[in-house]
Amino acid sequence: MFDWIRELFNNTSDTAAGFDGDILSYVTLVIRFILPVLAIIIVVRCIRSLLSEKGEGEIWGQLHLLNGNIIDLNYWENTLGRSGASDAFLEYPTISKNHAALNRDDKGDWYIYDVASKAGVLVNGTKVEGKDGFLVKSGDKIDLGGLIMTFVAADMTDEYEQAISRTPPGQIFKQALTLVYITLFQILLCFQLNIASQEASTTILVFCFLILIILMWICYFATRAMNRVAFEIESIGFFLTTIGLSIVASGSPNEITRQIMFIVFGLILFYGIGWVLRDLNRTKMIRRPVVLIGPLLLAITLIFGQETLGAIRWISIAGMQFQPGEFVKIAIIFAGAVTLERMFVRRNLIGFVAIMAICMGLLAGMTDFGTAMIFFVTFLVIAFLRSGDVATVILSVAGAGFAGLVALASRPHIAQRFATWGNAWETAFNGGRQQASAMSAAASGGLFGVGAGEGWLKGGRGFPRVFAADSDIVFAMLSEELGLIVALTAIVAILVLAIYSVQAAKFARSTFYVIAACAAATVLVFQMMLNVLGSMDILPFTGVTFPFISKGGTSLISCWGMLAFFKAIDTRAAASFAVKIPKRPEFSGGGAIIYRRYDDDNTRVDPVLENKGIGNRE
Amino acid sequence: MYRINKRALSVLVLVAIAILGMLFYIGRFLIFGGEWATSRLNPTVQSRGMITDRNGVVLAGVTDGRRTFAEDANVRRATLHAVGDREGNIGTGALRVYAPNMAGYNFLTGLYSRAGTGNTVALSIDSNLNVEAMRALDGRKGTVIVSNYQTGEVLCMVSSPTFDPIHPPHIDTLDDEEGVFLNRAIQAAYTPGSIFKIVTAAAAIETFEDVFWRTFVCTGAIHLGEDTVTCPSVHGEIDIVRGMRVSCNIVFCELALDLGADILSDYTARYDLSGRTRVGGIQTMIGNFDKAEPYTADLAWSGIGQYDNLVNPATMLRFVSAIANDGNAVELQLRKKSTLFSFLSNRSSRLMSAELARDLGDLIEIQNSDNFPGLQIHAKTGTAQVGGDRLPHAWYVGYITNPGHPLAFVVIVENSGTGSSIAAPIANRVLQAAIR
Repeated sequence: MFDWIRELFNNTSDTAAGFDGDILSYVTLVIRFILPVLAIIIVVRCIRSLLSEKGEGEIWGQLHLLNGNIIDLNYWENTLGRSGASDAFLEYPTISKNHAALNRDDKGDWYIYDVASKAGVLVNGTKVEGKDGFLVKSGDKIDLGGLIMTFVAADMTDEYEQAISRTPPGQIFKQALTLVYITLFQILLCFQLNIASQEASTTILVFCFLILIILMWICYFATRAMNRVAFEIESIGFFLTTIGLSIVASGSPNEITRQIMFIVFGLILFYGIGWVLRDLNRTKMIRRPVVLIGPLLLAITLIFGQETLGAIRWISIAGMQFQPGEFVKIAIIFAGAVTLERMFVRRNLIGFVAIMAICMGLLAGMTDFGTAMIFFVTFLVIAFLRSGDVATVILSVAGAGFAGLVALASRPHIAQRFATWGNAWETAFNGGRQQASAMSAAASGGLFGVGAGEGWLKGGRGFPRVFAADSDIVFAMLSEELGLIVALTAIVAILVLAIYSVQAAKFARSTFYVIAACAAATVLVFQMMLNVLGSMDILPFTGVTFPFISKGGTSLISCWGMLAFFKAIDTRAAASFAVKIPKRPEFSGGGAIIYRRYDDDNTRVDPVLENKGIGNRE
Repeated sequence: MYRINKRALSVLVLVAIAILGMLFYIGRFLIFGGEWATSRLNPTVQSRGMITDRNGVVLAGVTDGRRTFAEDANVRRATLHAVGDREGNIGTGALRVYAPNMAGYNFLTGLYSRAGTGNTVALSIDSNLNVEAMRALDGRKGTVIVSNYQTGEVLCMVSSPTFDPIHPPHIDTLDDEEGVFLNRAIQAAYTPGSIFKIVTAAAAIETFEDVFWRTFVCTGAIHLGEDTVTCPSVHGEIDIVRGMRVSCNIVFCELALDLGADILSDYTARYDLSGRTRVGGIQTMIGNFDKAEPYTADLAWSGIGQYDNLVNPATMLRFVSAIANDGNAVELQLRKKSTLFSFLSNRSSRLMSAELARDLGDLIEIQNSDNFPGLQIHAKTGTAQVGGDRLPHAWYVGYITNPGHPLAFVVIVENSGTGSSIAAPIANRVLQAAIR
């Protein structure tokens, strides 16, 4: 159906011999230079849209002190204490450093927790005890070690007014235009692959790219239909997925339809996890079963899995291969993320450490060194986020270093990888052949690549295929076919997710979302690093996938799943589908919060305590 | 929340490490990219680019995506070590050394070329001269290397034993001793024997002002302690000029004893004979000069290149080229000098003063020799004893000053006999072909 593209050029050859090849080679030559430019435009637009807009904080409640001072509660989870790092900083001698936590749930109910106070917490004279928290209502008097304050919660009117007064993203960088660039990128890439294809027919190839384009636009319009405007995270996902599709189309043309299916599954997981994260209570509810699935999946793999190249990673169901370890990454993120009140519970890490220890033990049994490394680094980041304790992290590194040495000594295939590390060229005809070939191919592409589908690393045209060309050393194949510039934009796209998660953390509502996003960023960045630097012989070669780009269904699906965590920290106005927007209140009773408004001379208008809206919420 | 937001910055540490890693990679990519891309692991490189000799004779081409070589089997065998083989076993072959140039690599577009053919590299060698040299060697192990001492271009470089690259020998059946993959001109070092007398003479001329007035007495032997240094003939009363002409060992042994090991070592190093040089960018095998104890037979032997000395043929060629070229050594080139940029001179360095070069040139001038018809030749024989019952290595090194033919040469034939009987006729044959 789409073979006319090739036919077009083939027909001209009848009229003027040799003419067709010439025109075609000039067209593909020009496209080779356009693709990196488009890639840069796409990634730069996403970066600027994500990072250049200054976040506006939200106010969810206030503490009115007797002396007239008002303290804003900017998050759904706030610490109260004498420590300078407290969200509500109360510098009074009777108050402990970390005195209490004041948390809001999805329904808008607030709970106070006595975290580590000496003097205790009283609400309307009742002492707060236990770890479940004590319900506080707007207007309640909170007594922290003798310091008494009135708690005021934002009501529906406040929330609605707040929501509509904030600037939504996408004003400067229209999301739809970014998508137009991505579509152009997809069409040109498809054209290149079409020309390079050695297959009898390229109808399926064109069809698959068409489906990807349609899927992308459906997601965009669905987002708009949900009254959300942010699409940068999804744009990055689709950009990387497009490159991944090109790799599959070039390296394993028979599996391209399967790849489209994986993309659909990935999108389902993405929106599914996003939907779960929308509601913090729902998130906490499914956390436990998800966490337990992790070690279970690994155990199943260990028992029923197939051993390839010394590692057990795959299980085969109905002719399809799965790598359950990929999904366990999501389980670990759920296991590691916690809400604020639990962070100050003593030994709060024990459960998480236990889960991680089981997972690491199972991975050691599977001798999956690469995944174990990713889990370990993710563990370090989560442990640091939760404890803030550098000593814990250093101890873990020392412990892992010892365990790593034992693993190296006992597993010949791991030891061998370490032996060839840094010597790929000296051992280019033995252990280092795969990496040396990867480096050779990566360099062959120069900055602009030899053209999609034209590389030698994947084999074909009489050349042998280098093992795992489109997975473990996909960075080489990507650099070869699309050039270093496009490869670097793919890397930058992943790094942007990490930088964004740090920036957006400032305005996130719950520590759960911050930890989850940071953990997801760690998994993606570290995995990308191991893939790129491992295949280029700068780090030991561990054979992990490049997020979104390496061929491998489970990896792609889980990457899309992890992308949802970045949507949950996006609290920009009407931005993310994974963050709820307050509804317009049916009964307008006026706001409870006195916002700190500024008049035209930019001087602050002092607030007047006028609690009008209590009791509006049902 | 404030706390956790600060702690979230730890993710940036990972990002920073990733960025550093990438910068390191980009640096390596820019430096080594050409080498990586054109390595033998890249199957597309094998079928890119052409190599010709200086007259445009195709030495390596591509037919149907496969590397092919010269049509004439004799040319293939004679240019094997200069060109290289399909398998890449000859590490110093042009196919490997100039792979980036032939493949058309640059870091901007990588190996991409619209037509996908690659470039042609014209070598400086003359394939006819190579064939002549290979014939002259007649299957004996050794090397012949001839260069233009004004431009540094290597015109002839053969190494024997050789093979036909379209019928390569099977690795398993190879005799390690043969060194068939070795380009002896670049990758070997030999005991110099009497050709080293030129170096001893250079040191003596600059060290002793009266050296041309000194006389020595050759009785066929000098006794040093329990050791004896011998000369093949009894020359009687003799000076350095005649001593060089008849290659009297006693003259140069006496000079070496007077000079001492330090000065001799210094001069050897000064001419890079104990170090290495470059041929078309390829590093040669390193030479060697061991310092012997004063007033010993070892020191005397070292003055005639028979102690633990080793020199590389190409390095020796550069040394005699410098004598021919008023003391300036032009870096040896394997690629034909472009006529378009001929005004750009190749990198040269002064090895010795013009005065010393003239003196040394006079010392090794061959007068009234019927063995070299039509050649104005300056040369020195060498017969390097290699111990045991093996025949000595035969050397002949020097240059000709025929107008329009500024050629320097080095011939070495392993375990074959004397320099004058074996190596000199080969040099004559090749040079006659060169000036024809």
